[in-house]
Amino acid sequence: MNLAHTVSIAFRNLFRNARRSSITLLSVATGGIAVLMFGGFVSQIFHGLETGLVLSGGHLQIFKQGYFHFGAGDPASYGIANYDEVVKTITDDPQMGPLIAVATPQLTLFGVAGNFTDGVSRTFLGVGVVPSDRKRMSTWNHYGMKFPAHPIYLEDDQMETGVVGEGLARVLHLCGPLEVKDCPQPPQKAETTASVDSDIQALANAETHGAASQTQDKGHPKIDLLAATAQGAPNIVTLNVIKAQNQGFKEIDEIYVGMPLALAQKLIYGRGTKQATSVVVQLNDTLTLSNAVDRLNQIFQEKGWGLEVRTFHDLTPFYDQAIGMFRSIFAFLAVLMGAIVLFTVINTMSMVVMERTVEIGTLRALGLRRNAIRLLFLVEGALLGMVGATLGVIMALILATAVNHSNLTWLPPNNVERIPLMVDVLANPRLIVGTWILLVIIATLSAFFPANRAAKLTVVNALHQV
Amino acid sequence: MAENTDALPVARLTGVDKIYRLGDVDVIGLKSISLSIRRRKFTVIVGPSGSGKTTLLNLLGCIDTPNAGAVEVCGQDIALLSDNALSDFRALKIGFIFQNFSLIPVLSAYENVEYPLLLTGVPAKERKERTETMLAAVELSDKARHRPNQLSGGQRQRVAIARSLIKEPELVLADEPTANLDTRTGAAIIALMRRMQEDLHTSFVFSSHDPQLMEWADDTVSIRDGEIIDIKVAS
Repeated sequence: MNLAHTVSIAFRNLFRNARRSSITLLSVATGGIAVLMFGGFVSQIFHGLETGLVLSGGHLQIFKQGYFHFGAGDPASYGIANYDEVVKTITDDPQMGPLIAVATPQLTLFGVAGNFTDGVSRTFLGVGVVPSDRKRMSTWNHYGMKFPAHPIYLEDDQMETGVVGEGLARVLHLCGPLEVKDCPQPPQKAETTASVDSDIQALANAETHGAASQTQDKGHPKIDLLAATAQGAPNIVTLNVIKAQNQGFKEIDEIYVGMPLALAQKLIYGRGTKQATSVVVQLNDTLTLSNAVDRLNQIFQEKGWGLEVRTFHDLTPFYDQAIGMFRSIFAFLAVLMGAIVLFTVINTMSMVVMERTVEIGTLRALGLRRNAIRLLFLVEGALLGMVGATLGVIMALILATAVNHSNLTWLPPNNVERIPLMVDVLANPRLIVGTWILLVIIATLSAFFPANRAAKLTVVNALHQV
Repeated sequence: MAENTDALPVARLTGVDKIYRLGDVDVIGLKSISLSIRRRKFTVIVGPSGSGKTTLLNLLGCIDTPNAGAVEVCGQDIALLSDNALSDFRALKIGFIFQNFSLIPVLSAYENVEYPLLLTGVPAKERKERTETMLAAVELSDKARHRPNQLSGGQRQRVAIARSLIKEPELVLADEPTANLDTRTGAAIIALMRRMQEDLHTSFVFSSHDPQLMEWADDTVSIRDGEIIDIKVAS
């Protein structure tokens, strides 16, 4: 008897006990739905995290060698003086250029930010960027995510304007002028203490006085940024804060200052050679990341520039940790669902074999070999898996479409705003095919033990089973 | 010189013992049975319930093995065959008719009759011709597409008879084929079996606890408590 006949008979056998088969198929389908829906949700999280990181820090950053490990304590010594040449070289490179969406210099620095009018200050993390490049970066949306990128408020021609984290705005008593929502008011001070910051205040006054002639006060609050220059001398600039933007993490939110690159360079290098601490590179497609890193390393080696490349995986370990955690949860759920499907199908097939013992004896008496009996029940298990998995895929697609159009929102980690709850099932053919195949394999394996028992029955005992 | 195969028995049992173990108790199924079944004859094995009729048919059908003695069917010592070889042997040489019909519920009457030909790899065209012929022979052409649960008991047994004969076996075994049928239908089934046996010149062995069926037989084997008590051979 050929396989087609076996499949035909096995398929008809599925409908012999329609209720039991329906429940089994539903169990398989439910397992598939759970895996696909969670897989689709996790996939959305992965894409969301990746998109967020690529929007803010690009796919990779180019540093002077050693910066990644030691630069935070001494950014001035790890500057890239020829950053314009680096940007031009990599964007003009015939291999690298087509991969790049945006390549832009960035200067990261640390210092003290003060609102000396209110007598408050704190250390800050400053990021100097090229606003027009950042605006281009903010359009990257390879995965078609439905949440907006952080708007870029900086402008190339407004050198002394900047943004701060909402946490820093709160600490510096800027919530009112910057219209920060849900911001607690500071307690009233009994007496203003100016003695501690008197030197800084004097320096700030001098800077503010000087800057007043360059920039018009448009009603934005001002803060003073104090940092050590590359030569080690203190330097201070005044920043017109035009917006407070939540940075997601409280630790970053309370120290973040975003400003134009030119202002950051003025603070760190004064009138000296302007440098950048990194060149941020945003690629068109994340899949080309590995090729891009290889090519960049090749270029830098050829040029002898002493630069190194760090991907967003290196720069944000949280990303890989989050991916790993969600993958573990997904694997746990998949194993759990697989076990449920396994035991459900084993139970069903065991009952099937028990009920059809006489029939097994008849088939054996007619001349069907043991292997053919085994195959018949294995095919029945496989068909249960195939039909159940197909139902699961169809139902998951319907459910995912319903969720995606339900306008439900959620607040993921590292996000400041609720985003639409999306489940990426249809966009994940690998997930669909993988889940389908896994369910069919589990169902077939589940049928193996009952099928084996059926094959091992002696004809006489099977025929006379009551 | 060619051997006259008709003179050879279709099955031969020599000193066969069959003992079943039920818990700690040995139950004797057959005791020192020696028997030859004549080829192309209609043989009835009669005896009361528990006399060993089914055990004897199981051995003849190569679906059970003796504890002692030899069983030779269609000239083949079945002790020499592996499990797969025995399956193939049954598929080719032996037809079964069961008391409870034992049709495959998901197959139509046509497919049930056709099934043994699938096991022996008969080409599709030939299968179709032979199946239709056999269904016509048992007067069930109009029920070809019916499933077993859409057929009466007599019709089911006719399908089973057609199924057992379609592969033109050398030996057909029927274990109390009328036990689940009313008297009239049972008689009709026996008459059909007898007619088919004569038409196809097949060796038929069927068991019954009803001595009245002996009138249909060429040969009769009476059995009681696992022992043959009488053999009547038609002249």
